[in-house]
Amino acid sequence: MSTQRLATVLMGALPILFVLAIWQALCSFGFAPPSLLPPPGKVFLRLAQQLGSLGFLDDILATMIRLFAGFLIAVVLGVGIGLAAAVVPAINAVVRPLVQVLAPLPKVALYPALIILFGFDHASKITLVTLDALFPILLSTYYGASMVEQKLVWSALAAGTPRWQILFKVIAPAALPSILTGCRIGLVISCIVVFLAEMISSTDGLGHLLVGAARTFQTVDMFVPLITISLLGLMLNGLLYGLRKYLLRGFPEV
Amino acid sequence: MTSARNIIATLSPLLACLGLLAVWQVVALWLDTESFPTAWHALQTVPQILGDPEQLLNILDSIRRMVIGFSLAVLISIPLGLAMGRSARVSAFFNPLLMMIYPVPKAALMPIIMLWLGVGDASKTLVIFLGVSLPVIYHSFQGAKAVEEKMLWSGAAMGLNGLQRMLRIVLPAALPEILTGCRTGLVLALITMVTSEMIARQSGAGNILFNAMDMAQYDTVFAMIIIIGALGIVLDAAFDKLRWRLVKWAEPHQEILLGAS
Amino acid sequence: MRDKVRKLSSPSERRSTGGRMQVPLRPEIDTGTGATSDERARAMIEIDRVSKRFETSGRKSHLALADINLTVNDGAFVSILGPSGCGKSTLLYIVGGFVAPSEGVARMKGAAITGPGPDRGPVFQEFALFPWKTVLGNVMYGLRQQGVKRTEAEAQSLRLIEMVGLKGFEHFYPKELSGGMKQRVAIARTLAYRPSVLLMDEPFGALDAHTRTRLQNDLLNIWERDRKTVLFVTHSVEEAVFLSDKVVVMTRAPGRIKEIVDIDLSRPRVRAELLLDSRYQKYVVDIERMIDDGRDDAEHP
Repeated sequence: MSTQRLATVLMGALPILFVLAIWQALCSFGFAPPSLLPPPGKVFLRLAQQLGSLGFLDDILATMIRLFAGFLIAVVLGVGIGLAAAVVPAINAVVRPLVQVLAPLPKVALYPALIILFGFDHASKITLVTLDALFPILLSTYYGASMVEQKLVWSALAAGTPRWQILFKVIAPAALPSILTGCRIGLVISCIVVFLAEMISSTDGLGHLLVGAARTFQTVDMFVPLITISLLGLMLNGLLYGLRKYLLRGFPEV
Repeated sequence: MTSARNIIATLSPLLACLGLLAVWQVVALWLDTESFPTAWHALQTVPQILGDPEQLLNILDSIRRMVIGFSLAVLISIPLGLAMGRSARVSAFFNPLLMMIYPVPKAALMPIIMLWLGVGDASKTLVIFLGVSLPVIYHSFQGAKAVEEKMLWSGAAMGLNGLQRMLRIVLPAALPEILTGCRTGLVLALITMVTSEMIARQSGAGNILFNAMDMAQYDTVFAMIIIIGALGIVLDAAFDKLRWRLVKWAEPHQEILLGAS
Repeated sequence: MRDKVRKLSSPSERRSTGGRMQVPLRPEIDTGTGATSDERARAMIEIDRVSKRFETSGRKSHLALADINLTVNDGAFVSILGPSGCGKSTLLYIVGGFVAPSEGVARMKGAAITGPGPDRGPVFQEFALFPWKTVLGNVMYGLRQQGVKRTEAEAQSLRLIEMVGLKGFEHFYPKELSGGMKQRVAIARTLAYRPSVLLMDEPFGALDAHTRTRLQNDLLNIWERDRKTVLFVTHSVEEAVFLSDKVVVMTRAPGRIKEIVDIDLSRPRVRAELLLDSRYQKYVVDIERMIDDGRDDAEHP
């Protein structure tokens, strides 16, 4: 069993090593000039250096503030509206067509409007992150809450649960797997969107670092913020995965 | 009675659009600043943009790249996803790599890819290709994995070889899921297109948006937002219709649109 | 047959058969028609001219239950038997207060049923356990809802879990249990808040034959202790006859009561003896024939 698992891990590590090897080979055999593709060692060294510099950490902080603010607002709104729409038909009648129209809308197209309305600073970026992360969370909450087994609700009602408590005591916990799936998707989207927004127009943050480096053709510095945001995304995704596993320990097949 | 329900189903998104435009109109009138035109003004600007040959060509160019990038991605991702879904070895090989790529903002690769491939169509199409691939692979993978083993046994008993089983059993059985992935991919293609053009600032719909903003042509900015938004909604609705035709037999199930690249 | 039943449920007869009874004796058999005021006092559930119509698409509707009249007395074990789709579960849901009747009224201890309440505890075929709670958490839920203090609720729940044979599994999650064990938890969860009536909706329908038999025996043993009123929906004739005092046979949709059969077999019932008992066999054969007649009616109107 454990050797089999080891084999699976090795199997998965192969293509990643392969990509790194090709990257290294391209550089060392001179196919790609360092000005276009810096060797991986140099990029990771630079990343390690940067992590020690205050300026870089400030940029990470700016990105994280926007990321978390936008994501948390999206979670609150998405779960709230999703649950409300699943429980109250009147709200559903209003929310459903709005979501139908707004979900496939490329939110990034709204970014210029958000800049005009909220300025270049945090507010416009946070709003964009919220808009992008909102719909996966809202939709999965809605589906999760509307598919709660009717008999769970009946069991709780028969046990003396007042109707108004059913939402918190049965529907929300029963929809938790769906809600957390939506949150995971929303979190990765938040990471991506905050970075893009900073690339499009910003004075700080990881995305801005990439654009700044691109203007001066500092290829090493272009890779560093890109790898940083990807690692951040992976880490947050992993954290949420762990949280999900803990919260859903009673549910089948997590 | 069912037709009445159908009418309501088609009308309610339109009503929602009208409602959103009305809210916009009221807010714009209330704010009353030059930088935030009313919905009515913006709508009036739409025909001007689409009537200008240069702008129209720009937008059509964007769409052409989007279609090419999307098609290439679908052609490569579906077989890969199906193979991953049916073979533990293939999925063990590709899964970690794909998981690593998952949180990378694809449109952010634009400056780097432009360094390598220049500012032409190739880099823009490649970025769209990257943006679309992942959800299509993921959904094809899920679809193929969920195919019942016994269906394949019946196929083998009827004398189908491996490839035939893939084409005649796995592909149709996974089709609803694959098409869900394609629908997500289509929206993502549009998003990646606009985003990469906003970042590259060379040409295309995204570029028009920011150029207009730099020149304080706010009517154009908001008109472009309407055009891109409408494109997203229409593409999504059209694809949903197509999908519904192709997989009428499938049970409806939940879909979560992934929203960014 | 009715006379025989009356005789059997006289107190002296009862004492000789039901050895382990702890509660005062209650004669429980009543045919449900022409109830005198004396019989009315013993009625736990009265179903009075209940019909249920489901609106399907548009103007079409489906009549699931037609004009049902039934009285279930305090302490009776009554089974509702019928082919699938005859509305027997719907009838149970109406008594539970989960579904409202289209016409007529269902009463519990004389008061019209308007919604679910802890006086009527359901047990579903699908178990419907809360997946986010452990066995103990599930069993405690109802008690906590009734305002019982945590320590007290825990102590009572542990006793119940032991009674249904799940000692040692208190901190397991439902997903870690087999189907039979899940249903034991569900029964304990419902018994915990001491409902006056148990509403069992094909509770053993999803279990394999062996588990099913064991749970039937255990259910009877539990029931012998306090003789709660039980309304039991099933499509198994053997199960209905084995468990019940009275079997209500329903017709195919729209569900009507075809016949009410009093099961005149002594308690406590032992499966091995009963299977060899010709009276048991006759009940099973007679009722199966009744259901088959119904099917012929439906096929050749």
